[in-house]
Amino acid sequence: MTTLILLEIRRALRNKKFMFFSVIYPPGLYLIIAGGADGARMPGMRLDMGMYYMVAMAAFGAMTAVLLGNAEQIAKERELGWVRQLRLTALPGRGYVGAKIAAAATVSLPSIVLVLLAGAVVKGVRLEVWQWAAIALSTWLGSFVFAALGVAIGYLATGDAVRPISMLCYFGLAFLGGLWMPLTILPQWVQNLADYVPTHAYAALGTAIEGGTGPHPKDVAVLLVYLALFVSGAAWLYRKDTRKA
Amino acid sequence: MVSFRGVTKRYGAVRAVDGIDLELHPGETVALLGPNGAGKSSTLDLLLGLRAPDSGTVDLFGTTPQRAIAQGRVGAMLQSGGLMQGVKVRELVGLARDLHPRAYPLDAILRAADLTDLADRMVDKLSGGQQQRVRFALATAGANDLIVLDEPTTGMDVSARQAFWGTMRAQAAAGRTVLFATHYLEEADAIADRVIVLHRGTVLADGTATEIKARAGARRIAFDLDTAVDGAALRALPALTALEVSGRTVRIQSHDADATVHAVYGLGLYPRNLEVAGLGLEQAFLALTAATDDATAGEAGR
Repeated sequence: MTTLILLEIRRALRNKKFMFFSVIYPPGLYLIIAGGADGARMPGMRLDMGMYYMVAMAAFGAMTAVLLGNAEQIAKERELGWVRQLRLTALPGRGYVGAKIAAAATVSLPSIVLVLLAGAVVKGVRLEVWQWAAIALSTWLGSFVFAALGVAIGYLATGDAVRPISMLCYFGLAFLGGLWMPLTILPQWVQNLADYVPTHAYAALGTAIEGGTGPHPKDVAVLLVYLALFVSGAAWLYRKDTRKA
Repeated sequence: MVSFRGVTKRYGAVRAVDGIDLELHPGETVALLGPNGAGKSSTLDLLLGLRAPDSGTVDLFGTTPQRAIAQGRVGAMLQSGGLMQGVKVRELVGLARDLHPRAYPLDAILRAADLTDLADRMVDKLSGGQQQRVRFALATAGANDLIVLDEPTTGMDVSARQAFWGTMRAQAAAGRTVLFATHYLEEADAIADRVIVLHRGTVLADGTATEIKARAGARRIAFDLDTAVDGAALRALPALTALEVSGRTVRIQSHDADATVHAVYGLGLYPRNLEVAGLGLEQAFLALTAATDDATAGEAGR
């Protein structure tokens, strides 16, 4: 199991395209989006753009690594028959999924740290030490929700369907979660809806910490419900796949 | 140690496995033979617990296939089994070792699969035959009691094939059971000490290669006659399983060539250019499956 996790990580590090999109792309996008308007207030919020987008992009980057990476890899490896081959080893059934999530989470960590670093060094974001640590930790833990979603998509779709489905989830979640632009500029009913979108709750963990408080219990609860939903969905799809393939 | 009891599996209207009863014993090398669609791959899937039977039970070492695999007692190499991409051969074999409770040393596995020179190559960059050797290395990374191979030498060249079977013989000699599906009949003939012929999801024949050949009419007799002869007289020959008369040439398949040839002389005939030869397993196999197809076609016609 440990060897599988290490091998998955080593393989991810070798994959330049994957590394670009999951590690370099989020801090790059952060600097571009938050670049022009230093210290400008976010409409309808107490945070400035540098702070808001730092958290949003850290969440976005972590989601990129765990959701897209897992969904595409699992679907591809099911098709190749590698999952079938692994089923003929002493690795327990959950081991493969566990290793995938662990490896994705390991790769998402540097992207989170790089975005926060860019915030501190380039954008001059100043926070207490505990806030930095809490943002990094909550963003990292929250990414497991999307890792589970990635596993579910990987077992749901095959071949050409994977990319459209995962992209739709990815962009839809990023947009409705306010990771690209704050939802305060959107109509009220979209904002009401967005309260129950997992990415919104995910980014809200960080913004609440930036505001000086801990994460709101409601956001944590929303994320936990989605985690349970995605994990049980992934587990169900995995069992279905075992019976069929 | 491996037993199938009344196992069936259907996909829609197709009965892929239609009531198979089987026992495999320690140290046996068993070939699973059959035309495409005979149910070989389905049978192996059921054996390995990749699919669940509709009825009947599959038992490995007194437990379920999944548990036997988790205990590291089974090594398998499937046609449909893929390889992890973006890793080196050494890393992938290392993973298989790590997952096996009784793994062999890495160098020994690589040597047995003839991969020592390829150890630092990326798996994705290998040829089909080389990937096949990696699959073999994964299947034999540890001390398994049962090794299951589906068309294992597909894509291998002749020398790789010989080396492969050399390794398998050593495994069998060490008391392991080797079960392999193949369409290379000469492999089954040369390597297996037991041949199971599958046809339409049922066991058509089960025995040594020699027994199977005998069952199918193991001897081929051919001769020429000076004059055309009455087919009915020839059809009455003893031990006859097939007869073909074309002009003055007679071709016979017989399960007792001595008796048949003796009776030919008994008819007062004088066969010229007499040839008596053993049937290959391939011809035996074709004869067996053709005979059942004829029988079922006859039943359907009635």
